[in-house]
Amino acid sequence: MSGALIILATLGTSLFTAVMIFLLPERAFRARTGLNLGAALVKLGLVAWMVWGLSRGREYTLAFPVLEGLAFVLRTDSLGIMFAGLSSLLWLFTTVYAIGYLEDSPNRKRFFGFFSLCVASTLGISLAGNLFTLLVFYELLTLSTYPLVVHRGTAKALAAGKVYLRFTLPAGLVLMIGMVALHALAGDIRFGQQEILAELAPGRRPLLVGIFWVLIVGFGVKAALVPLHGWLPRAMVAPAPVSALLHAVAVVKAGAFGIVRLVYDIYGVELSAELGLLHGLVAVASVTILYGSLRALAQQELKPRLAYSTVSQVSYIVLGIGLFGPLGTIAALSHLLHQGLMKSTLFFCAGNYAEELGIHRIDELDGAGRRMPLTSLAFSVGALGMIGVPPVVGFLSKWYLGTGAIQADMPWVIVVLLASSLLNAAYFLPILGRLWFRPGPDHGVGEWPAERRPVRLETLAWLLVPAVATALFSLMAGVLAGMPFSPLEWTTRVVNTEYLP
Amino acid sequence: MSDALFALALPTALLWPLVLMLRVSLTVARTERGQPRALLDGLWCTAPLPALALALGSDEGALALDWWLLGGRWMLDGTRGPLLAFTALLWLLAGGYARGYLAGEQARAVAGDGAAEVRLTRFALLWPLTLSGNLLLLVAEDIASFYLGFAVMTFAAYGLVVHAETRDARTGGRAYLVMAVLGEGLILAGLLWGAGSAGTTMLDGLREGMLEAPGGAWMGLLLWLGFGVKAGVVGLHFWLPLAHPVAPTPASAVLSGVMIKAGLVGWLSTLPLGEPTAGETFVWLGRAMLVAGLAAAIGAALYGVCQRHPKVVLAYSSVSQMGMATALVAMGLVAPTLWPTLSAAVVLFAAHHGLTKGALFLGVGIGKHPPRLPTWLLWTLLALPALSLTGALASGLAAKWAVKAVLYDGGYPTMVTGLSLAAVGTTALMARTLWCQWQGKGQAREEGLEPLMSPMPLAWLATLLAALTLPWWLGGELMVRGWPPLDELSGLLWPLALGLVGAVTAWSVARRRPLRLTWRLPPGDLWWPLVRSGQRLRTRAQGSLDRLGSAQGAWVAWWVARERDAIRALDGMTRGEGWLRRHAAVLMMGLAVGLALLNVFAPA
Repeated sequence: MSGALIILATLGTSLFTAVMIFLLPERAFRARTGLNLGAALVKLGLVAWMVWGLSRGREYTLAFPVLEGLAFVLRTDSLGIMFAGLSSLLWLFTTVYAIGYLEDSPNRKRFFGFFSLCVASTLGISLAGNLFTLLVFYELLTLSTYPLVVHRGTAKALAAGKVYLRFTLPAGLVLMIGMVALHALAGDIRFGQQEILAELAPGRRPLLVGIFWVLIVGFGVKAALVPLHGWLPRAMVAPAPVSALLHAVAVVKAGAFGIVRLVYDIYGVELSAELGLLHGLVAVASVTILYGSLRALAQQELKPRLAYSTVSQVSYIVLGIGLFGPLGTIAALSHLLHQGLMKSTLFFCAGNYAEELGIHRIDELDGAGRRMPLTSLAFSVGALGMIGVPPVVGFLSKWYLGTGAIQADMPWVIVVLLASSLLNAAYFLPILGRLWFRPGPDHGVGEWPAERRPVRLETLAWLLVPAVATALFSLMAGVLAGMPFSPLEWTTRVVNTEYLP
Repeated sequence: MSDALFALALPTALLWPLVLMLRVSLTVARTERGQPRALLDGLWCTAPLPALALALGSDEGALALDWWLLGGRWMLDGTRGPLLAFTALLWLLAGGYARGYLAGEQARAVAGDGAAEVRLTRFALLWPLTLSGNLLLLVAEDIASFYLGFAVMTFAAYGLVVHAETRDARTGGRAYLVMAVLGEGLILAGLLWGAGSAGTTMLDGLREGMLEAPGGAWMGLLLWLGFGVKAGVVGLHFWLPLAHPVAPTPASAVLSGVMIKAGLVGWLSTLPLGEPTAGETFVWLGRAMLVAGLAAAIGAALYGVCQRHPKVVLAYSSVSQMGMATALVAMGLVAPTLWPTLSAAVVLFAAHHGLTKGALFLGVGIGKHPPRLPTWLLWTLLALPALSLTGALASGLAAKWAVKAVLYDGGYPTMVTGLSLAAVGTTALMARTLWCQWQGKGQAREEGLEPLMSPMPLAWLATLLAALTLPWWLGGELMVRGWPPLDELSGLLWPLALGLVGAVTAWSVARRRPLRLTWRLPPGDLWWPLVRSGQRLRTRAQGSLDRLGSAQGAWVAWWVARERDAIRALDGMTRGEGWLRRHAAVLMMGLAVGLALLNVFAPA
């Protein structure tokens, strides 16, 4: 199969699924489920094929001019395929989860249609070959996520959707202004052509710094950098699979991925360091990490606590970008994957507690470990990973961030890491304590807020399997970090081949 | 042992406890709730057996696993072997003891007590998990495995501490966890800093890197304090007397006997001990450790004798003994040339204290549930490990001589005097422990005697035997100095005599005029003022967190208000446009008239 065709097929899988789902009638449950799962598997297969091809030195490119001097480019490079792999894998689990979660609820056709569109845009973002293409899919992502956030249609959901649009649409506009300015300055820059900006006349440098920060503001809204994070905790009113999508797979990651592309593939890490941009990024990331953790500590409900934890954890990626040197880069890129695995686990589990037992507040979790042992085990793995306890992958991220900080000669970053780890422990360990060590309704103390009918397993298999699977992946990715094609090994390879400063 | 066999035996030793844990969870999942099930059976007790066989059967060996975490390297050598041997042995015997100790709980669980069933299941699951963490940290040579073992052991042991679910157990568990998290944080910071500057993932690389790195002594300080939380360094020790006594007795035994040694193992593996090239800053770190160690050794003894519960007294004795160990480790930095001989003495001391303290803790349970033995024999057996801990006989005497001879030869008589003073304190603590146990014995006799051939007395006797005969079965290369000559005995035994005289005097005084002191010195000393100031801080922090939230709210509200202003301005424009539309004709007319007038009256 030719290179262009396989890219088109990968992107087309999700787009085609979206169109087909919109065409199918609402009651065609089986056809829709089959289509969803089939497409997710086909896409995973195609991405795996491209990973394999890429590791053997093959190139996949699709490009055509849109205007004079502006092209639409889709291209696989090892960084993009990494993000594509993550989103395809997690899409499979999220789809399975969403099928179980939305069982018997109205408007499933609308939900799954936009769901597929959302994943198609994420894939487009990961395969985009220049800023213009990335921006197209970035905007598509904003628009296709809105119906998912407001899916429930309640007043709270609509308000959250409004906040979401308020933040993301102006951000898209800011991003476009930055892109146009960059285009006017240096023409169409394909990702990987860092030399174009590096060779600009020194007189243009102040302008470059300005454009950089404009673009960071544009990406920073989706990446939930403080003070642009306000939409994220509000958006947690969305159904659990959407939260997993927002926090782990698509939206937040798209912002972080955009920053990665901006620093490594447009400006180039040397130029960014020369211009002093990286120090700014580290400062912003450190503030975000600490602020997010502090705010998470103050939350009394499970999902907002997880949401603020995302604010904090995604900034680890930005922190890693800011640490000049290979270890920091490895930390940034691998945390992109690691955080996705752990956070989707946590949101799946939070959804399971809400669906099965009606639990929303943290103090209602007492003794839930006995009623739902596998879910609680998965939650514990995710939470311990977030704290940074080995062998869960979160430890590896922290390890590379810490050693990277020393390498970049910024030892004070370790203090930030340490404070954040302690805060993580302070807001996750009490939850684990409640799950496992407090007597609850299953021990004959009190009763669950709203327990669903008993099933053979602790909850529906559709809900249980994705949570356990992502937990296992986060565990295996840590234990087997030295294996070929593990997230860490792949990012190390990416960094060694492409981004050695 | 051949390499292939070692490569098989080491993973088996580490995985076997996990396999047994999995078996427990499968048993629980398979049987219906409320049905009788024996979780703590004979097979469950064998969890540390492969590790013990490995430690006794193999002297040296290494295993490299490239795919594991950041690159795994596990090995066994002259230091790790003895540590692994006594650790696995104490876990094995305490596991056997637990079968008897928790038999009552098992009976209640079978009778349908749900809470007992939950507690028992938790114990059966977390015991092997804690064990596997402990074993891993002993054999790990790569930093990631070591930290993994340490973290697994620390967090899993929380479940053992809070086992009883009483109020005291919760307090103990909370103190344990808070301090453990703090310790893990300090350790992680030290490891990241050290490994980052040296660019290594191995412990030996870390030690070498610290010598050359600027600020190496600060890394050492972080690691010393981080592991010091586990080892009960003075100032960070207060969780021990809160957590060790509330755990079930077999768990107390392993907590105080072997898990506390994980801190010591951490020091041995990460600090550049015995390196003559270490700079002056390391010597200063060593001096700080020395002072802290001796302060803990003597201070804990003074505070401990005022306690009423035998397990609390024993916990303070652990702080005191670990203070001595801290002082000995500090000598590795202060006097690096002594270290090659001293390190063997430290390992011997650790093994001696581990098994003896295990026997003492298990003995507390025996005092409460005495077996069918004559009273004089029982109390002699209970007193034997206490005497050994003071250094009067068996392993205690061997360890004491090993330490003292090295220090004398090295020219550190002050240090020996300090340790001897601590030994006086140990004697007082042991006397106090036995006295507290004696006072509780009357009640125990009324509850009936245990048969001698049941798990608890057998495990206790075996631990006692293992502890007393330690120099013969483990000594080997550790006993560099052999046994003390007869004329040295007086120099070794005076602390015991002094301690005994002091204890008898104090007892006779206290009998006539009971002291009220014990009420004002609660176990956990520093914890209570810290909790109070923590609460005050928390109220204040809660306030600032709330302010942070409201500041964010105000910020958002400001933006929303600006948006409303903008919309109002837009609405104003719409209104203005309407007004213009309505009055367009008049305005145009006015404009035309105005222009015309301007034309007419304009100066030509």
